[in-house]
Amino acid sequence: MADVLVADSIEKIYGEGDTATRALEAVSFEVAEGEFASIVGQSGSGKSTLLNLLGLLDTPTSGAVTLAGQDTSGLSRRQRARLRSDTIGFVFQFHHLLPEFTVFENMTMPLRISGQKVGDAERKRVSELLELMGIGGLEKKNANQLSGGQKQRVAIGRALMKRPDIVLADEPTGNLDTANTDAVYELFRSINEELGTGFLIVTHDRGVAEMTDRILEVSDGKLVQDVRNDYV
Amino acid sequence: MLALTIAFRFLRSQPGQTALIIAGIGVGIAVQIFVGSLITSLQDDLVDSTVGSSAHITLLPEDDGEQISGDLAEEALRQPEVTTAIPVRRMSGLYVSGDQSTPLSITGGDPEDIDSVYGLSERIVDGEFALEDGQILVGTTFADGAATGIGDELELVLPNGEPASFTVAGIFDLGAAAANERLAFVDAGSVGDALGLGDDEYSAIEIQVADVFTSTEVAQRLESPGVEVVDWQAENQELLSGLAAQSGSSLMIQAFVLVAVALGIASTLAISAVQKTRQIGILKAMGMTDAAAGRIFLLQALILGVTGVAAGIGLGYLLIWGFSFAPVDFDVRPSPALIAISAAIGVAVALASSVIPSRSTSRVDPIEVIQGG
Ligand SMILES: Nc1ncnc2c1ncn2[C@@H]1O[C@H](COP(=O)(O)OP(=O)(O)OP(=O)(O)O)[C@@H](O)[C@H]1O
Ligand SMILES: [Mg+2]
Repeated sequence: MADVLVADSIEKIYGEGDTATRALEAVSFEVAEGEFASIVGQSGSGKSTLLNLLGLLDTPTSGAVTLAGQDTSGLSRRQRARLRSDTIGFVFQFHHLLPEFTVFENMTMPLRISGQKVGDAERKRVSELLELMGIGGLEKKNANQLSGGQKQRVAIGRALMKRPDIVLADEPTGNLDTANTDAVYELFRSINEELGTGFLIVTHDRGVAEMTDRILEVSDGKLVQDVRNDYV
Repeated sequence: MLALTIAFRFLRSQPGQTALIIAGIGVGIAVQIFVGSLITSLQDDLVDSTVGSSAHITLLPEDDGEQISGDLAEEALRQPEVTTAIPVRRMSGLYVSGDQSTPLSITGGDPEDIDSVYGLSERIVDGEFALEDGQILVGTTFADGAATGIGDELELVLPNGEPASFTVAGIFDLGAAAANERLAFVDAGSVGDALGLGDDEYSAIEIQVADVFTSTEVAQRLESPGVEVVDWQAENQELLSGLAAQSGSSLMIQAFVLVAVALGIASTLAISAVQKTRQIGILKAMGMTDAAAGRIFLLQALILGVTGVAAGIGLGYLLIWGFSFAPVDFDVRPSPALIAISAAIGVAVALASSVIPSRSTSRVDPIEVIQGG
């Protein structure tokens, strides 16, 4: 299977001189299409930094990120934004919905930003995704009228709207209770199986990581372990 | 257009703040329109009452006792600005009643000519506008003082010492007490006879121009030997410098109002930009460009500017309408040019004050927002 993501000895140094912090050092790995993987590590080990680099939200100090077969090193801000929105769906610890807009508008915002029309097909997709996430029929609700779990599900739905190759999730259940956490991971798994979308999920929680097919462990800015769970 | 939709939503999400700033712009523009229209109307009114019904330029013989030719009126009419130029004869007359005497400044001329400068036919309040041989038109103040009415005989002592008798044909009101007391009009022949003038001998040429403020320039062109040219602007320097000072202070008021409006919009937008930093970061994380994000605040400013200006024009008209009930004897007329300028400046100021929030928006880093929650 082709690789969606390739990290080639990426390094990230924040700041300069005395205050410089090396957050990542010589990290290399590949993620194939449709993989369901997790990144674990202690707080401050560099997980978010890694995810932001892979998602083109930030640029590495050295090394290269290849996304969907395209080397991203020489791309402009605008080109990176474009490639990112075409290939990646983001889910963060905080839902990051726009409170001024309805659920439907939040879900379709990525399409509108890239200048796509929102028509019947998109309306249908929104309602299907909401259905899949167990919050069908909430289209017209205002984003700030939802519960925390509902908001996070809408955010996940939004990440899936443009049929990304891979979803990068940074502590997606960090703000949710156990019941909601389990529901979200079940959801990820079913999306992975039904739509073939790849997942790379950052988590503190070893138990959660055990449920994924592959665990990448980061420690002190280095990739120290890369193991595959063999499911039967 | 997405940026416009977002701009509208952001404004709608803070209805109080939005309403306040629109009201602020509205009041600013309304003051602008009202003060501007008030000053313009006031000045038009003052100028009109000063020269509306009198000569703007007067040609006089250079030496006392000389006369000038009526041909000068024809010549003056060749200037494109000149609308009226009439030859008149002037003399003084004395009305004596008991031990009281009232001096009159008597102008003699062709009735149509006189009407074209003084607009007498529309200012007759009693009797009629007629200037046959032996008829006289006097002002309201004089008529009251002399207790004379239409058809009465008026005995005057003329400069040559001879008494003369005129029939009062009409009583006029020129809008100024001095004019209503002192001025009187008769036919040209009566003055010519009393002064012993020849056919083409006149005391003065009275001239009106289309735009009263071009009089100085026209007056210069009318200079000729043996003729003294009197320009109303030169005669009314004090009035004119008073008007200029008034215009200047009104411009200052308007400029300060604009500055206040600009500061109001700028600070509201700056606050809004800070309040929406999170949203801007999210939008950028979803692929919105810096330029498009900056445009959101530009459009907010445009929406605020246009709505505020529209409200301001409405409010300005309301103020002007309200002023029509004030107990003063002139009306404020809204000036379309002034309103157009105020509107354009208002929108421009709104747009200009969005520059800073737009810039700070383009600097928002999506990572900070996303990590910060
Ligand atoms: N913008 C920044 N400027 C300077 N240093 C930073 C910045 N962001 C992260 N760091 C540093 O880089 C290192 C890795 O941070 P990162 O946020 O990637 O950790 P993390 O593994 O996501 O931690 P957590 O589990 O707490 O979220 C830390 O030492 C952190 O202090
Ligand atoms: Mg983190």
